[in-house]
Amino acid sequence: MTGSVSNRIRLLRFLNGEMSQAELGQRIGVTRQTIAAVESGKYSPTLEAAFRIADVFKVPLQEVFTWDANATASADD
Amino acid sequence: MAYREKTGWLSLIAMAVTFGPYFALVAMHALPDAALPNVRQLFAFGVTAVAQALIIGAGHLYFRRSSPDDARMPPDERDQAIMRRSISSAYYVLIAGMIMVGVMMPFNSSGWKIVNAALFMIVAAEVVHYGVMVASYRRQAS
Repeated sequence: MTGSVSNRIRLLRFLNGEMSQAELGQRIGVTRQTIAAVESGKYSPTLEAAFRIADVFKVPLQEVFTWDANATASADD
Repeated sequence: MAYREKTGWLSLIAMAVTFGPYFALVAMHALPDAALPNVRQLFAFGVTAVAQALIIGAGHLYFRRSSPDDARMPPDERDQAIMRRSISSAYYVLIAGMIMVGVMMPFNSSGWKIVNAALFMIVAAEVVHYGVMVASYRRQAS
């Protein structure tokens, strides 16, 4: 099955005063390593965590995560 | 490295250095398989279990002291997803082992052979559990 989720978390962290992965993780209740895995596309977060991330940056969900139907999936979950 | 990945590696190493030599001794027939109770078998198993508990206890203590914030944090959604996957993989190993040990072995074995086979399957299931766990963390590491 093709398709994968890509994200702009790195850019959004930069635009929000170079927020650290640890701080973002703390604000949504996950570890820094989980944020790193999400950011690199190796882990797809739950819908709830995705909404929490968008909420931290005060942007709609689709500005953080986008679905590319033609890309090859790489995330484990 | 994530705190839970560290504890997974610790458990794998602890099992390798304790139950590895124990099963090597059992396989070499260095421990007699006489009628129960068998003091040498019991002693070897006791030493193995205590050594494993000490290694894991000391390791957890060290990890807690070196990264107290990570240790306090409850497992997040990724930790839980990895835990579910690793436990379900280990379950199949454990159930296959228990069928072999509890249903088939009593027809042609007895005593410590059955006990050691059961222990081996439990350890094998734990190795799969922690092996899948650390492999999952490694795959998702940046």
